[in-house]
Amino acid sequence: MGKYIGIRLAHALVILAIVVVLVFIIARIIPGDAIMAAMAGSVDLHDPSVVERVRHQYGLDQSIPVQFAVWLGEFLRGDWGTSIGTGQKVLDMFVQRLPVTLELFVGATLWSIAVGIPAGILGALKRNSAADIAVTTGAIIGVSLPPFWEAIVLIYLFAVLLPIFPPSGYVPFFEHPLLNLRAVVLPTFVLGTHAGGLLARYVRSSLLEVLGQDYVRTARAKGFSEAAVIARHALKPGMIPVVTVIGLSWGGLLAGAFFIEVVFAIPGLGRMSVDAIFQKDYPVMQAMLIVVSLNVLLVNLLVDILYGYIDPRVRVRG
Amino acid sequence: MTDLVHPATAVAVSPASRNPALALLRAVARHRLASVGLVIIATLIIIAVFAPVLAPYSPFQQDLYHVLAPPSRLHLLGTDNLGRDLLSRLLYGARVSLLVGIVSSLVSAVIGVVIGLIAGFRGGMVDAIIMRITDAFLCFPPLIFILAMSAALGPGLQNVILAFALFGWTYFARLARGQVLLVRELPFIEAARSVGVPATRIMFRHILPNIVAPVLVAITIGIGGAILVESGVSFLGLGVQPPTASWGKELRVGFTYLEAAPLFSIAPGVMISLAIIAFNFVGDGLRDALDPRLRGANRVSR
Repeated sequence: MGKYIGIRLAHALVILAIVVVLVFIIARIIPGDAIMAAMAGSVDLHDPSVVERVRHQYGLDQSIPVQFAVWLGEFLRGDWGTSIGTGQKVLDMFVQRLPVTLELFVGATLWSIAVGIPAGILGALKRNSAADIAVTTGAIIGVSLPPFWEAIVLIYLFAVLLPIFPPSGYVPFFEHPLLNLRAVVLPTFVLGTHAGGLLARYVRSSLLEVLGQDYVRTARAKGFSEAAVIARHALKPGMIPVVTVIGLSWGGLLAGAFFIEVVFAIPGLGRMSVDAIFQKDYPVMQAMLIVVSLNVLLVNLLVDILYGYIDPRVRVRG
Repeated sequence: MTDLVHPATAVAVSPASRNPALALLRAVARHRLASVGLVIIATLIIIAVFAPVLAPYSPFQQDLYHVLAPPSRLHLLGTDNLGRDLLSRLLYGARVSLLVGIVSSLVSAVIGVVIGLIAGFRGGMVDAIIMRITDAFLCFPPLIFILAMSAALGPGLQNVILAFALFGWTYFARLARGQVLLVRELPFIEAARSVGVPATRIMFRHILPNIVAPVLVAITIGIGGAILVESGVSFLGLGVQPPTASWGKELRVGFTYLEAAPLFSIAPGVMISLAIIAFNFVGDGLRDALDPRLRGANRVSR
């Protein structure tokens, strides 16, 4: 197990290094002009000496490797630069908005588990029945629905026609727990739909595969009741893909949050990122890309390790 | 598309049938959801091609005396905020979504498969380097990258497609590489190598046809994904520019008038969802038809 974790960790570090270089390259390809554009109002850019001074101030006159080292050093020390849009420190902006988006993520994951796992089990146990067809069809539809449209339909149904939930807005949990929960019901449901559909599919097919295994047949042959066979022998190994699906969908959640936070006017990381993209706020975009990929990388690493723990065969192969 | 299917699926689909492409089509048509999906896709393609004939009005014709009109006999879905016929705009919108979806998915597939073929076939250092880079790209959800690229390159359809080409290939690369690793060790590849067939020819003439089936499934599902991303990008205000009709853009403008004219945002979303669901249905059916393991399982249960 130790060696397996070591290999996974080494892989993740290599990928992280490539990610950091990629983000640096992307950021360097675009924003040289952005700094100039941002300075255009305050200084005279027709004067070559002024341009030279600005370039020097931002370190643009140094060689690319030196720029990279300086940038990486600052980033690691927590100096993520200043937002062009808000003038705030980028790191502060992230810290401020992170809890909001995390709450959405957790809520979405809970929704997807609460709906997806029972649906998948039902589909597998009642194979080829009307219920199974409903589950498989519903799962594909859940995976397919555009989040922004689903959000709009739910707002129309449950905030306009039947005013149960607020159509938009956000109240921090510690300010008013009840209002907070009411505000996040719809957004988290929409955000969790995709993962819920995926979960239902994976749980169903994995359970079907397990039910066809020899040891399940043996258990049946020994005279265990069907309920005992399923609960004691099939369910646990059938749940292995849950870990993978939740891990895989974690990265997609942030993309979903872009839309959800815009539609529901929630002040989280997604909305901040969309604003940054539109304002060409490169310091924020750059930090966002690194946070996003770090998030995916860490979750993948965690899934790999969990997987090796649950299913020892993976350790040998992997 | 039919030629593509040929060699790989000859055995997998139906050994008794002479024409494998036809057999595949038959297998998909037997699949309940896939046949529903095929009908929807065919309808959407007809709508996109014949939009000028089918649409009751020009999609640009404004009628400022009848803005946000409810559905009526004159305007079946009502009108938008500029008094344009919503139905006509939705029919024309099919063009943008299908075009971006199909082109983006195909371009990503071509780039990804070539990269995956090289990585899987060469192995060793080449493979390790390519796959770590692919893994790094896979850390970014494509939508976020495509949004950022569209913003940097400026709005417009071709930029959305270009962004797709840059960031959509990773999934195909990983898929193709995995398939190549399975095929590479088979005896007929060894035979080809031993008689001196050049590497490039082995890759494209001997290996490629044998990994086409899963790639085809991925392309189909990828079209749905690309339609989702395109409409999302348009929804956020990038992508196609007005006055061109696009489902994502209609949805965004309609959202502003949700209470006054609910159909204005709900109807475009129905179109987007139908298109994505249809491609996913067909992709699912193709996967079932092409995966012998699954068919075996079906037979046992019956």
